[in-house]
Amino acid sequence: MNKQIQESDFPNPEGHWELYWLPHQAMVRRTRRLASRIKLLKLEMSTKAAFSYFPGQFIQLSVFGYGEAPISICSSPENSNVFELCIRDAGNLTHAAHDLEPGDRAGVRGPFGHGFPMNQLKGKNILVIAGGIGIAPLRSLIQTTMANPGDYGGISVFYGAKKPADLLFIDELENLNAEDRLNLSTIVDEPDRQWPGRTGVVTDPLHEFKIGDPENTAAVIAGPPVMYRFVLMKLLEKEIPEDQIYFTLERRFECGMGKCGHCRLDDVYVCRDGPVFSYSDLRDRREFNEIKQDED
Amino acid sequence: MVIKNFSSKPRAAFFDFACCEGCQLTVLQLDDRLLELMAHVEIIEWRQVMSGRGDKYDIAFCEGGVVRNEDVDRIRSIRDRTDILAALGSCASIACHNSLRNEWNVEYAIKHVYGENAGDFDLIPVRPISEVVEVDYQATGCPVSLKEFVTVFEHILTGKIYRPPNDPVCRECKQNDYVCVYEKGRICLGPVTRCGCGAACVAHGDACHGCRGLVDDANTDAVFKALEPKSRHTIMEQMVRKNRLTETDLMKKLSIYDPPKKPENGKE
Amino acid sequence: MTYRTISITNLNRLFEYIIESKDLFAPKEREDQPGFYRFDRILKPDEITLSYGTTTIPPKAFFFPPEETLFTFSLSDEGAKLNPELEEAPFVLAGVHPCDLAAIEALDLALGQPPADHRWLFNRRRAVIIGVDCTPDEYCFCGSVNTLNSRNPADLFLTPVSGGYLVEIPTARGLELLSSVETFEAGPEHLEEAETRRKEKTAQLTAAFNRTSADIAGVLESGGFGDIWKELASRCYSCGSCNLVCPTCFCFHTDDRFELNLTSGHRFRSWDSCQFLEFALVTGGHNFRGLRRNRVRHRWRCKFLHLYKEFGRVFCTGCGRCSRACTADINMADVINRLVHESENHSETRPGKEG
Repeated sequence: MNKQIQESDFPNPEGHWELYWLPHQAMVRRTRRLASRIKLLKLEMSTKAAFSYFPGQFIQLSVFGYGEAPISICSSPENSNVFELCIRDAGNLTHAAHDLEPGDRAGVRGPFGHGFPMNQLKGKNILVIAGGIGIAPLRSLIQTTMANPGDYGGISVFYGAKKPADLLFIDELENLNAEDRLNLSTIVDEPDRQWPGRTGVVTDPLHEFKIGDPENTAAVIAGPPVMYRFVLMKLLEKEIPEDQIYFTLERRFECGMGKCGHCRLDDVYVCRDGPVFSYSDLRDRREFNEIKQDED
Repeated sequence: MVIKNFSSKPRAAFFDFACCEGCQLTVLQLDDRLLELMAHVEIIEWRQVMSGRGDKYDIAFCEGGVVRNEDVDRIRSIRDRTDILAALGSCASIACHNSLRNEWNVEYAIKHVYGENAGDFDLIPVRPISEVVEVDYQATGCPVSLKEFVTVFEHILTGKIYRPPNDPVCRECKQNDYVCVYEKGRICLGPVTRCGCGAACVAHGDACHGCRGLVDDANTDAVFKALEPKSRHTIMEQMVRKNRLTETDLMKKLSIYDPPKKPENGKE
Repeated sequence: MTYRTISITNLNRLFEYIIESKDLFAPKEREDQPGFYRFDRILKPDEITLSYGTTTIPPKAFFFPPEETLFTFSLSDEGAKLNPELEEAPFVLAGVHPCDLAAIEALDLALGQPPADHRWLFNRRRAVIIGVDCTPDEYCFCGSVNTLNSRNPADLFLTPVSGGYLVEIPTARGLELLSSVETFEAGPEHLEEAETRRKEKTAQLTAAFNRTSADIAGVLESGGFGDIWKELASRCYSCGSCNLVCPTCFCFHTDDRFELNLTSGHRFRSWDSCQFLEFALVTGGHNFRGLRRNRVRHRWRCKFLHLYKEFGRVFCTGCGRCSRACTADINMADVINRLVHESENHSETRPGKEG
């Protein structure tokens, strides 16, 4: 410890710090409205440097003058220089991002964080549990498993949202369901007249789901904090091992690499050490348990 | 790549309600920068500097508070005729000094100020315009801070939402390396007051009087607790002794701009 | 380690020599408030006061300013052109106390950890640091956090002795700088005088922890301090002064601004505080540390537990700035001792892991 900074530790002005600290240019290739306040943006990196990512990682998207915001990558990493972002219009940056048109440019830093543990998921049956826009990072995971079907066991997607219109990517999920490539259960809280499906919360279909071999089953969860506690209780009830339950956590990410301090959860920086954590990692962390309590 | 909020040069106007017009004067002190700003807009109405009148506006800056029934009609009419309404200064955003009158009922206040021969004043309890109509942008301060006015203007022109700073004045005071006002033996409302002014009063040797209003979770109870003898900081001790400060004095100070809401503020 | 002595005249010559070629920043009495000091640009050596009390803002500001431009941008149809706005000019920072040296060393660990904060490292590379020994005040508790005699990362370190200063020369850069003026080899009497001074300094410390700083992590880990955090929160303004004057705090907030031409602008960052209400607020509206008591608790746990776990040292150097700045009288050493006392005396009855 108490190591003194050596001359060699200082960054070379021609070094690699720009990769982390300066946004790189990306061109908007396509935009598509998914819901009233949610848009899908397809971006292509303009830099020659390789850009690769894993499902569950995020980038920091800049629209210069409007700031920067962390956005999960929601596409498959197969063609990594082109990627998709699912953006909800909620603040200045995301509002400006909604105004971007094909041909416009934006800034991208990253990718940051650790994604889903795809290696640990290999060979396992996977329960994919999503709430609302939480489907975004999970879509990247689903697409990865679809592209490598032999590597994984059965994929079951439980997707809950407030209203039917809030269910994103529903066509592609239903197509995969129809092709029997995954098993999809959707459920909404506030149905409209056209809604043919179930009403309730995402734990309902999860409750009914029969898990044959919990030891060989993993669960990945993304959604609003309020959902975590109930989903977690259900999964533990079904005897899924604690280290095979993965959450992707939301926090305020400004720098993306464990410096700015906003995303601290006890002794971890969620941006740097997560945003994907197993429940066994989180179980004893005070600030994680308190969030669960706050939601009561 | 810049996202323009307006398809053509927006028409802007300045209005005043019950106020000292100090915020508008402050804006005029922008000098050269005012010309830079004006390159982006066309001013069509501003009583303090020109005689023209407008009918429809894209941006209306309103200074002052609502104190008469006719003010209510007027601000509603302006709201109807403008796309964007920006509250300029503390009177328009948090009622400011004007609201001191709210401690008395209207009849008593009229009689007390103008005597028996008071004419026909159509007074109502004082409210900031933001309590009467929806306000899109807000630049608080008594007077408004030039830096913040420019920032708000930038946000309007580029279509950004502006959230008034919700951190205490101590943030800007420390960042500017000013000596704490308490160290000088004076009481300062900086710890519970919204920043955004760059700690302007402290910079000029004064203390913060709280003109921008309380931060969202202001712990005003703590301000009183800090005065209790058993929990006094050495610096506080000197300050209290020097000023013979009582809780009543403190309450008065806190009440000038934005009286703390009773019974308790914020969460523990 | 080499020891030399330097006379006051020669030290002033050294400062003059520095001023000729680069910027010199050193403690200077404030014009607006006599008796208070700040690190400021020095034009003449006699402006410097080396026997000064703790400054309001720590010298970390020279490497990590309260507000700084991360890059400027100008927009065109081809996209944005970014300029990282890095300063290259070397400077000398003189008169840094041991606690503030230790803080810079701590930040070297936190901000230097890959991927390093390049602005911090660029600025650190620009600077030669001259430390100076201090006289503690009622808020100092460096004796409790092992920073009483910190020297890293100073290039030269001065201790007042009769006739001038004893100079420690920890680095080659320091030696090179010092070679520009006349110095003498230090004799045993100088070393002894410096040692006596250090003993006096230790004796003057009035604030102290009742346990070693390394133990505090375990105390905090055990938890059960809900009542203490609640009581502190009832007095805390959440004004953030403690963080903003802290030499080891490094949280920051970033935002963008357009220039008035609306085609160029800059991204900047400014010091932030975990005590502010909106520190952990996300765009969706959830505040992950909305309770004041959780924010207060976070400050202690971050400095004495989380960062201790990660970097093997507590992120507190005993400078006492936060205790002084807190007019609500939330005193760092007092709070630590309350926590220690609580953990020692009530371990049976405490509710367990909460708080």
